[in-house]
Amino acid sequence: MGDVVQIYEDYKDHADFLTVYVREAHPTDEWQMKSNVKDDVCYAQPKTLEQRVAIANDFTKRFKFPLPFGIDDMSNAANDAYAAWPERIYIIDESGRIAYRGGMGPFNYKPEEAREWLAARYGAVKHEAPKSSTKAVPASTSGAAAPATPAPAASAPVPAAK
Amino acid sequence: MNRFWKWIAGIFGVLLVAAFAMLSYMAGSPKDVYGMVRYALPHMHRGTLKVGSDAPDARIVALDGVSRFHIRERTHERPLVLVFGSFT
Repeated sequence: MGDVVQIYEDYKDHADFLTVYVREAHPTDEWQMKSNVKDDVCYAQPKTLEQRVAIANDFTKRFKFPLPFGIDDMSNAANDAYAAWPERIYIIDESGRIAYRGGMGPFNYKPEEAREWLAARYGAVKHEAPKSSTKAVPASTSGAAAPATPAPAASAPVPAAK
Repeated sequence: MNRFWKWIAGIFGVLLVAAFAMLSYMAGSPKDVYGMVRYALPHMHRGTLKVGSDAPDARIVALDGVSRFHIRERTHERPLVLVFGSFT
């Protein structure tokens, strides 16, 4: 999601953004990945809208996610209309037509393509290149940690339905 | 003829094992292959939308869990970057 947040920061003055939370990709009761456990991202597949809303709120708070956010309802209407699962990006132009259709994640989920579309229209936003690696001290010897995974929000993995 | 079919069955078996091994490698483990086939494939759709298609509308629930809005409400004066995803 970091790439998307950076794109948002770079182009929010030119384009609107909306993140739509769809059904979970790797919930605990379906196909959970080891990385989910490692990152303490353990949720069962929501069975109610309240559960979906709770997970979505957990996500936005935990990552201080800045993009405007919405939730697909339990009919999965947005997911079905956009073939969105597990992750996908579209750009809709001012006339209401699809201007960019991203590939299906995870393998073809490429935020950089959306960035290219925005850059072609509004100009590229350049970022400073990372400092020379020759001066970098490996994290393992410097004691610096990798970018921190946010602290576990709670030990109970499934937000309770209201 | 009997020998021919044994060869065919053998080759088919080898291809099946190779495909499973390849999928296990790509997915991470044999358990992940099961997860992919059981849970991911039924939900993965390429979709029919193309560049130039009218963007479909859908009703979206706001983070407060109560308010609703439509995707098309957000597509007027500026392009809308629509990002779909989940937590896991």
